[in-house]
Amino acid sequence: MTKKSNKLQYGFLIDASRCIDCRACMVACSVENNVSMKSTRIWINGTGVVGDFPNLSRYTAPFHCMHCEDPSCVSACTVGALSQDENGIVVYDDDRCIGCRYCMYACPFEVPNMDLTEQFPLIVKCDMCVARLDEGESEPACAATCPTDAIIFGEQEDMLAEAHRRMEEHPGRYVDRIYGEHENGGTSTYYISPVPFEELGFPLAQEEESPAHFNRLVTHGTPTLAAGVAIGMTGIYLTIKRQKEDDKNIDNPVHDEGNMEE
Amino acid sequence: MGAKIIRELRRLPLLAYILVVPTVLGLSVGAYRLYAGLGQTTHLSKVFPWGVWISFDLTTVALSGGAFTLAALVYIFHMHDLHPATRPTVLFGLLGYSAVLVILFFDLGRWDRFWHFLVYPNINSALFEVSWCIALYSTVLIFEFSPVVLEGKGFEKLLAVIKKLTIPMVIAGVTLSSMHQSSLGALFVIMSPRLHPLWYSMLLPAFFLFSSVAAGITLVISGSILSKWLFGQTLSQKVIEKLGWFLPWILGFYLALKLGELLVAEEVGLLFSSGKYSVLFLAELIIGAVIPIFLFSIKKIRMSSEGSLVSSLFVIAGIILNRFNTSWFAIEPINGVQYSPSWMEIAILIGVLSGVFLVFTLLAHYFPVFEETISVEKPVLKKGFLTYGEKVSNAAGD
Repeated sequence: MTKKSNKLQYGFLIDASRCIDCRACMVACSVENNVSMKSTRIWINGTGVVGDFPNLSRYTAPFHCMHCEDPSCVSACTVGALSQDENGIVVYDDDRCIGCRYCMYACPFEVPNMDLTEQFPLIVKCDMCVARLDEGESEPACAATCPTDAIIFGEQEDMLAEAHRRMEEHPGRYVDRIYGEHENGGTSTYYISPVPFEELGFPLAQEEESPAHFNRLVTHGTPTLAAGVAIGMTGIYLTIKRQKEDDKNIDNPVHDEGNMEE
Repeated sequence: MGAKIIRELRRLPLLAYILVVPTVLGLSVGAYRLYAGLGQTTHLSKVFPWGVWISFDLTTVALSGGAFTLAALVYIFHMHDLHPATRPTVLFGLLGYSAVLVILFFDLGRWDRFWHFLVYPNINSALFEVSWCIALYSTVLIFEFSPVVLEGKGFEKLLAVIKKLTIPMVIAGVTLSSMHQSSLGALFVIMSPRLHPLWYSMLLPAFFLFSSVAAGITLVISGSILSKWLFGQTLSQKVIEKLGWFLPWILGFYLALKLGELLVAEEVGLLFSSGKYSVLFLAELIIGAVIPIFLFSIKKIRMSSEGSLVSSLFVIAGIILNRFNTSWFAIEPINGVQYSPSWMEIAILIGVLSGVFLVFTLLAHYFPVFEETISVEKPVLKKGFLTYGEKVSNAAGD
């Protein structure tokens, strides 16, 4: 079902050991995409201050749409306002959205946002600055702005390779897990972190298979069910009708029509 | 002219006047919600984007399942002695779906684009399937109810065509119903990270379908007994007994399916170890299935009005709890954020519900909805259908 093409698949690598919580990415995103800072497409997850004085620590990481390989939101969206483009970007058509908010429940990463205080609210969600990329820029605003290169952007395979390279080059610096590699059936955003992802406040979407897969199993099963019900009902109707007519003919050989009503 | 209108208004049952007040208040709050936005009027949030309105929709659609169940029994399975119940049930279904559509309209962030589902399809979406089926099925219900409005007014040719199309339309209605009743369960299949594992299952579509059949039948039973008090009409106890006879079978199958799923998924332990969730889950099954299976198995209870009513109310309570659990109580909070509805959400709900009962009362007043139910004489349609209405208002104690 996933639209895998030969086209370039984009991806992010986000390194929590580099993030300094400056929030420049949030500002850059807000300016680039003209969204209010109240409901941004990118935000900072963190551990808060942990440990005992003087051994205190605090880790943060920017968080935005993971751009899943088989996105739940795309499967859920009633009107197809969310879709996956040929570069693996999960894009949003704000002219279609009806504001049903099903995607907000379907997304295991709690990504789709909505400023409910607006009279006509719309979904707020990262689209990898697709308009900016189309204009020929090499990376989205957040990655271009990040002063410590905590967010880097490029080809999906390169990002994964870079994650592995950093983990091998600095044994002990990162926990042994790349968040986003298997979550929700695989995504295009990879996180490496010195602390467990639960402590960073990341959602625990650990399914090896995207729920979108199971969703399709049942929604595609429905037409089959419908056909079964329609054929079955017609069959039962005709069978019982025939039987009743036969019974009647045995009792009373005169043909009686229209015994259905009343 | 003016005197005529006043005389007409005075003939209306008292219930209609009582219902006007909450209807007007609720719909005014609804108009404010459309103007002000969801944030100012509801307690919906990023963590809980769906609230009591969705739970209400799920419940109402389940309870309106009586219309398709009864249509199938009467027309497909040729159980014609159940026919007297079809008119009130189809009307109740029609009004139930209308309430759902109105509430959905208030629920949509972009209510100005409610029609988009008609032109922008996503065949993978359970909500898209639900929207289409409900829209089409409402049309079928209008069709099924239309003879009640058209009879005796010189539409004989049209009525003949409608009668010819009855069977195909009933089959379409049953098909559409089984589709959207199960699709409403399918809605939650994609929400595996949020829905508590006691409720989450790939079988959710089947759970929703079978429970809606049970809910529908019990609503027909309790509705006809309650309407005896409200409108002075009811089905014969023989018909009620026959309807009640189906329930142990349907509920038994439903219960076996629910528990069997937990066995297969190796989640039986959760039944007793999940705290609040265990209580909710067990309550829903004991109230909605175990107790009524026992009650409806006893012929003496099925033969008594009070017995049938109480047993039905158990099933209805269980199904309501099930739909609220699945869409609200068993949705696991994130970072401790909980949801409880605002007063405006409740006010809009009460307003829409009152409006629906108001329409029911008025239709029962003016049209032969209870035509074949016992304890009412054949309405005199030649002189004008209002004769019928007078009789009803007398019964309602006007």
